[in-house]
Amino acid sequence: MTVTALPGAAGRSRRATLRRNFWRGVWRVLRRKPSRMAGVAICALFAVMGVAGPLLYPAHLPRDDDALYAPPSLSHPFGTDFEGTDVLALVVTGSRYVLLTGLATAVITVALGTAVGLFAGFRRGWQDTLLMRLTDLNLAIPGLPLLLVLSTVWKFESPLEMGLVLGLLGWGGIARAVRSQTLSLRERGFIEAARGLGLPTTHIIGRELLPSMAPYIAMNMLIAVTGAVYAQVGLFFLGVLPFEANNWGVMLNLAVFSGGALTTPAALPYLLAPLLAILLLTLGIVLVVDAMDEIFNPRLREE
Amino acid sequence: MKRLATFAALMAIVTATATACGGAAATDAGAEVDVYTTIDGTKQINASAPINPFNPVGSVFTGYNGMALAWARNHPTDPNRFYPALARSWTQSPDGAQVDIHLQPEARWSDGKPVTSEDVRVSIGLAYTQGGTAYALDPKAAGAAADVRVLDAKTIRVTQGANRSAAFLANLLSTVVVPAHVYGALLPRGFWDTLKVAQHDRGPAGERAKAVITGLADKVIAFSPEQDVSAGPFVLERVNPGAALLRRNPYFYNSRAIGPDKVKVLNYTGNEQIWNYLISGQLDNAPFTSVPAAVMERIRGARGSQVITGYSPVATSLAFNQSHKPYDNVHVRRALAYLIDREQVTRIAAPEGGTPAATTSGIHAKAARAWLGDGFAELEPYRLDPAKAAAELRAAGMKLRDGRWTMPDGSPWKVEIHVPASFSDWVSAAKSISSGLGDHGIDATVLTAADYSLYLSELAKGEYDLGFWLIGLGPSPYNIFQRLFGQANGWQMFGGRLTHVPPGTGGNWMGGPRTVEVAGEGLVDPGELTSRLNYVSPGEQRRIVGVLARIANEQLPAVQLWDYVNTQFVNTSRYTGFPPDDSEMLRLSSGVWMQLGMIRKRQP
Amino acid sequence: MTRATANRAGALARRVAGHVARGLVMIWLVATISFVIIREIPGDPVLAMYESMLQKGMSPDQAERATAVLYGFLPKGSLWEQYTGYMGSLLHFDLGRSLSTPGVEVTSLIGSAASWTVLPVLAGTLLSFLLGVTMGVYAAVRRSGRLGDLLALSGSLLHGVPVYVIGLLLTAIFATLWPILPSGGPVDVEFTPGLNAGYLGSLVRHAVLPVVTYTLASYGGWILAMKSNVVTVLGDDFILAAELRGLRRGIVFRYLARNAILPLFTILALSIGMLFGGSIFIEEIFNYPGLGLLLVNSISSRDYALMGGTFLVITIGIVVANIVADLLYSVIDPRVRSGGTA
Repeated sequence: MTVTALPGAAGRSRRATLRRNFWRGVWRVLRRKPSRMAGVAICALFAVMGVAGPLLYPAHLPRDDDALYAPPSLSHPFGTDFEGTDVLALVVTGSRYVLLTGLATAVITVALGTAVGLFAGFRRGWQDTLLMRLTDLNLAIPGLPLLLVLSTVWKFESPLEMGLVLGLLGWGGIARAVRSQTLSLRERGFIEAARGLGLPTTHIIGRELLPSMAPYIAMNMLIAVTGAVYAQVGLFFLGVLPFEANNWGVMLNLAVFSGGALTTPAALPYLLAPLLAILLLTLGIVLVVDAMDEIFNPRLREE
Repeated sequence: MKRLATFAALMAIVTATATACGGAAATDAGAEVDVYTTIDGTKQINASAPINPFNPVGSVFTGYNGMALAWARNHPTDPNRFYPALARSWTQSPDGAQVDIHLQPEARWSDGKPVTSEDVRVSIGLAYTQGGTAYALDPKAAGAAADVRVLDAKTIRVTQGANRSAAFLANLLSTVVVPAHVYGALLPRGFWDTLKVAQHDRGPAGERAKAVITGLADKVIAFSPEQDVSAGPFVLERVNPGAALLRRNPYFYNSRAIGPDKVKVLNYTGNEQIWNYLISGQLDNAPFTSVPAAVMERIRGARGSQVITGYSPVATSLAFNQSHKPYDNVHVRRALAYLIDREQVTRIAAPEGGTPAATTSGIHAKAARAWLGDGFAELEPYRLDPAKAAAELRAAGMKLRDGRWTMPDGSPWKVEIHVPASFSDWVSAAKSISSGLGDHGIDATVLTAADYSLYLSELAKGEYDLGFWLIGLGPSPYNIFQRLFGQANGWQMFGGRLTHVPPGTGGNWMGGPRTVEVAGEGLVDPGELTSRLNYVSPGEQRRIVGVLARIANEQLPAVQLWDYVNTQFVNTSRYTGFPPDDSEMLRLSSGVWMQLGMIRKRQP
Repeated sequence: MTRATANRAGALARRVAGHVARGLVMIWLVATISFVIIREIPGDPVLAMYESMLQKGMSPDQAERATAVLYGFLPKGSLWEQYTGYMGSLLHFDLGRSLSTPGVEVTSLIGSAASWTVLPVLAGTLLSFLLGVTMGVYAAVRRSGRLGDLLALSGSLLHGVPVYVIGLLLTAIFATLWPILPSGGPVDVEFTPGLNAGYLGSLVRHAVLPVVTYTLASYGGWILAMKSNVVTVLGDDFILAAELRGLRRGIVFRYLARNAILPLFTILALSIGMLFGGSIFIEEIFNYPGLGLLLVNSISSRDYALMGGTFLVITIGIVVANIVADLLYSVIDPRVRSGGTA
């Protein structure tokens, strides 16, 4: 019954068994609630969309000059936009930028946050103090206002640039949490034992500390993806980032401010399509996080 | 669970009370007085700003509690036509040098004191501290007022300097008038003598005097009277960040003409708020905002809603930076003009607020017909014509490879159209243009700047190849062509002398040639011609406008996309008697309409 | 006994002093960083004002008259001179004069905007806290039931929906489709400000949509945090023992609430600190004149002094909240006091 992700013990066969048990546990947790399977399916769908979506359509999306803001139909499931382009095609081709930004942000946030937190917690002393002051500074800088200002100085033309900035602004919270976890793990027996055995620091961090924090880190990564999606879509929605016809935020912006989607139903599909995409992505991630929560935190499971 | 229920009940009570309170209060207020609700499109309401017309965001609303000597009529060609305001009439000497202004004999401030010549004199003095055409301190600047003389309590004479301008009367009459007994103390003792020195002394004494006068600007802008003292039909009662409330001024000279007891001017942060107000019928009048076709339908469907359209002397264009390749070649510019489907672009970007430009003349079509007569039809219309475009591109040496046009040396050509991100109509127009160019083998993209401020500074630095640009700002012909052959294209006016600076400097981003060949005219300097529009006779003006329109049409420094239409929204369920379509009052505020006897309360 | 108390008081005082010193350094750092970034923003605000006036239909001469004088309000001198000047006046609590509302002190602009931000955001924060905490307990206790599951999922989703989406939907419903609430502005100008029913009623009516939006947007976070806290506490030995010994539900519940809620108070302190930033999206959508909107407008009008001032006030809010949260935490959880973090 107990599934543990703590690979504290040595021995190859033991590890293999653990891993097998782990995947069996994952499968069990997923199967218990169909919603979790749905979550995984949704995330997979978005991944496929981001990778293969743009390949499905020609580089210049076809337009129908006589069907501006056309209502939903078989050929245009979500209608058309202001110049008669299929909205679904825009959402699909636009997913790559959004997801790439989300991914880049998540990787940077988590990598930086974990590195800082681990190092600070492990080393303690003046390095810890310095890093934590830096973390405080990172947390004290108002993110959205700063992004608004930065958007006038810097043109976020590639998703990686966008992700870099979002990541650099958002690592503080994770760093703090990882540090406190490191501090508490440090005091546990197995780390002390490893240190007593004279194992190198890299081994302790890489083999002992990181694995026990992996679930926490993975969950934060997923949450960071949603955070990054909102942040960048929000910035595009405010209209401060460079125009890209198939960006979800730009679509929201144009639907509301140019199409009047909140005032009349004509441009409503144009508004709803990117909105649904965001909600679906959120839902998928939320469900997966829910499953992960249970896999890694057995307490949450019902008695 | 019990606590939860209690909490929910509490919430329900709070909400109910809130709704009930608001509802009751609103009806109370509505029953007592007639409130006219409107929006001032030219101003963000700012509760922290002083009640001072010299402050750009001050709580003074033109036509309500802000009064000028006269109100400009919306005429396509003549900038010197005015409706009387505080000036009941005026006479200009035949040479245009001197204007006598006769004030309304009944005009009074809202504290009961009469409006006198002294008020006008102080207002002119204060205007000098702010700069501007008619009140430039430089004696050589064209159309500067050189002498102000009070003839009697209700008559004042203003004389212009030696360097005369046709715009003098218009600039003088649009002077805002403030009460001398409130603002007079802002002008230091000896101000008028200092002004004389600043205007006539060419030496260091003159410079010092100029510094003294411009040094007053800060104080004038920041001046914050305790209370509004207005000579207009209304006086400010209260202002908060969401709206300004004005009440009727009983001392207004034409008070009988004013219908409403109060005027509420609402603030707005986005056009969609205006749409919502209009659909719910809350506004009696709203200025033009860009409106999507579907929203327009719903606005028209609202009870009592009416749309008045008229002339608006502004046009949108796509302007070239001619110092960038390949846009230095007139054939490339013409080719692009042949490939832009202006009908489609206008349908997408400005379905209600614009008409597709008939051609590129640099002038709004309505004014162009009046200025050019038959000449307008002779201009090349640049209708959508891929064949002609291809011929022009070939003439420019561009190459067609695999269905895509490239530069003469075979390197890729990408048309980058720049727009500010905040103008959604321009963004969709630019997108439509780039899609259209893509259909005809030209790679094009839209690049947005985060805001207008950034856009204009990058544009002025010459960083863009193509950008959206307002043109045809009438009615004064000088203002119209100044947009194409003025500072943005290298011609600068300095102390009454015209100079030309090379592309990339001094805000010259259009980078056009200084002189062009015009059939029948020889070599012409369009900037010099434009500056002459300021002072030549009407007949000569007409000839110059003809030449400049031809240059704009042949050289295409910009492609005119659509001419704006002044679309005003009114609601007749509370008030009637709004100005008709194409009225010359349309660009003035509701306050001015009321002064001129329009807008009556609807009789039940 | 007294001596121990005095010692503890002294330790607390030292702790507070250390926090304050660090906070001041932090504020100085953020002020410096924001100063440098702000001065690097390209753009010509006066030209932008002029062109916007043209677009709104003013004649070029009128527009020139209205804007020419603003050039005098732009910052002058080298970056270093501007910086030392700025820091010097900061020491006197002087934030300089505004460009977009020329001639008005930045402090007075921020003061009036702050009053419009604090009340609705505070109301929204507290409301969402109460709601989220209550629902969170329920979701944790009934986590195997359908309703508990649904509550938790609603929390996750609402936590996930961007705040601007909620705001836009609420406006669409309550201000356009079924116009029972005003969609913009802080209060109807027809009422005399003061303690009269009309004014207060109008104030509340205008605040409903922003407050509800704020509540919905942050409720999800609270319900999730509370649920996970309660679940953790439920596993405590105390609860197990209590269940075995059949202690009264009331006592169990009190233990539960105390141990699960207390950690949330530090988060509450933090989010109250954040409220000075207002919510840019909410204030933009509802045209509510708070600090967020002030900041957005100051950026688009390149009002450097106002931008810097607003940034500073928002930062101070966050820093102070962090200090309060830290102290609160040490009061709640005595283990922190000895230095180790559990």
